[in-house]
Amino acid sequence: MLELSGVSTRYGPITMLRDVSLAVEAGRIACLLGPNGAGKTTLIRTVLGIVRPAEGSVRFEGARIDRLRTHQIVKLGIGVVPEGRRVFPKMTVEENLRMGAFIAWTGADVAKRREYVYGLFPRLAERRRQTAATMSGGEQAMLAMGRALMSRPKLLLLDEPSLGLSPLLVEQLFGMIRAINEAGTTVFLIEQNARKTLEVAHHGFLLQKGEIVGRGTARELAASEVVRHAYLRA
Amino acid sequence: MSHDLALVWLAEAAVFTLVVAGILAERPWALGATGAAIVAAGALVRFVPRLGTTLAGAFARRRPAALGAGVVLALALPLALRSSPYWTFVATLALLYVTIGQGLNLQIGTAGVINLAGAAFAGLGGYSVGLLTVAAGWPSWLAVLVGPWVAVAVGTILFVPILKTRGHYLALVTIAFVFIFNILMNNLEFTGGPQGIKNIPTLRLLGHAFTTKPVLAGVELPSHANFYYAALVMAGLTTWVLRRLHDSWLGLALNTLRDDEIAARCCGVSITRGKLLAFSIGNFFIGLGGAFYAVMVGFVSPPDFDFGYSLVMLSVIIIGGVDSIPGVVLGACLLVPLPERFRFLHEYRLLLYGVVIVVMLLYRPQGLWPAQVRRYR
Repeated sequence: MLELSGVSTRYGPITMLRDVSLAVEAGRIACLLGPNGAGKTTLIRTVLGIVRPAEGSVRFEGARIDRLRTHQIVKLGIGVVPEGRRVFPKMTVEENLRMGAFIAWTGADVAKRREYVYGLFPRLAERRRQTAATMSGGEQAMLAMGRALMSRPKLLLLDEPSLGLSPLLVEQLFGMIRAINEAGTTVFLIEQNARKTLEVAHHGFLLQKGEIVGRGTARELAASEVVRHAYLRA
Repeated sequence: MSHDLALVWLAEAAVFTLVVAGILAERPWALGATGAAIVAAGALVRFVPRLGTTLAGAFARRRPAALGAGVVLALALPLALRSSPYWTFVATLALLYVTIGQGLNLQIGTAGVINLAGAAFAGLGGYSVGLLTVAAGWPSWLAVLVGPWVAVAVGTILFVPILKTRGHYLALVTIAFVFIFNILMNNLEFTGGPQGIKNIPTLRLLGHAFTTKPVLAGVELPSHANFYYAALVMAGLTTWVLRRLHDSWLGLALNTLRDDEIAARCCGVSITRGKLLAFSIGNFFIGLGGAFYAVMVGFVSPPDFDFGYSLVMLSVIIIGGVDSIPGVVLGACLLVPLPERFRFLHEYRLLLYGVVIVVMLLYRPQGLWPAQVRRYR
């Protein structure tokens, strides 16, 4: 579904990604694991066209997207929960969700989709008229996820959704990701929390210093020496 | 609830009376009494328990009636001020600032495109009217309609640096533009240099020149009343259009540009398109205000559009409340007449505006009439 081949991305003289190739399989949960500074967020930004790759190509459903602008890429069917969630603080829950459906702007459909999101996150329905700034971190995480789902994306990109959440909320969040995937959305999950991530993901990739250093099914990754040593402390 | 209605009308009548009295009071004791009455009214609303919330509730429940009465009072203002042509002129000026302020608020308040070149865009509208009428011989009404489009067109040229800069840098780019505009107007031959353009023909409506004094219900009004009513229609329409825009999905999308560009892009909003739209629509209304000003006073010159006026426009938005449509109306109606009333302040106008901005940003950054969460149906 999403394919990167030979992607290198540079910020000036600094190479953030070097010859990265990976493929997210349709209908599954893929994960990208890596420590801080490995280039995970750069990879997301490259996929979204926020930064341009110096080399290589990015394809979505077979078509090249690495020369498109962000809003064009998103329109192809990619929902995003950006790093740090980035909900619109001065807007209400309802308005945030409306913005999530910006690319598919027909009234009835938006209302139906909103009910779906409220079904997933009943908490958001309770707070629909509240501004996002007044909500807790967990609620904001739900809102960011709900917003990304409003456009009925084929692929959901999640950049560290568990960051700053309590263990209980993390548990709920990962359950939600699994449910969203079972409803038919492909998920690409970027995470530091390797243990939890490998419990829900089907397959994944390991990023270190801008290079892919491991790949395979979740079970293979969990068993691999480098993951066990660096992430699972086992 | 009919006592809501009585309350709303009473409050509006009281404000109207105080405003007119404040404007027309000549003798020190009359001015003092009016000032005392204004302070007393303010204190009453502030300190009598529940009076403020009761009033706010009454206005919320009786919105159409409140608006209707407001329109009636706005229409009646020239009658009340008929002894003073000068104050009719000032009131008209305030209405022009409403139009301009709404345009600027769309840019700065809604979309976060900091524009300190308001004076230049108003000037583009004004100078276009001057050139089109005096040099090209166009009728004034046509020039007033075309002038704003010149502001929009020049704005798109400035748009490249605007798209590439943010925050302070964007502010600097637009400040530079005001000075470029002023230097050009001072030095170009065809714009009349420092003399500007004189003898701009006035507006005519159905053969009735705007410089003749209108007669309303048997009462002769100052000639500026013509412009006052035209400006009232213009400000009203502008406010209505921009209110609709602000409350639509488009307004919401423009808000995302202001709040978080990355998140906006992730939602599929095009930064370029959004900013260009807000900037152009805003410049249209700023240019419209400038064009109207040109036909009203009959001449344009560089000092009419210098950087100071950009600051006045900015103050109107800040005092009213950034991104607040009613705030702009309130800001313009407070800030434009006040220095005219207190002549000793007139020479220190810019100082006053500077102080107002600093005080507001320190103590009430949301403005006197803060932006409300949008209401949907």
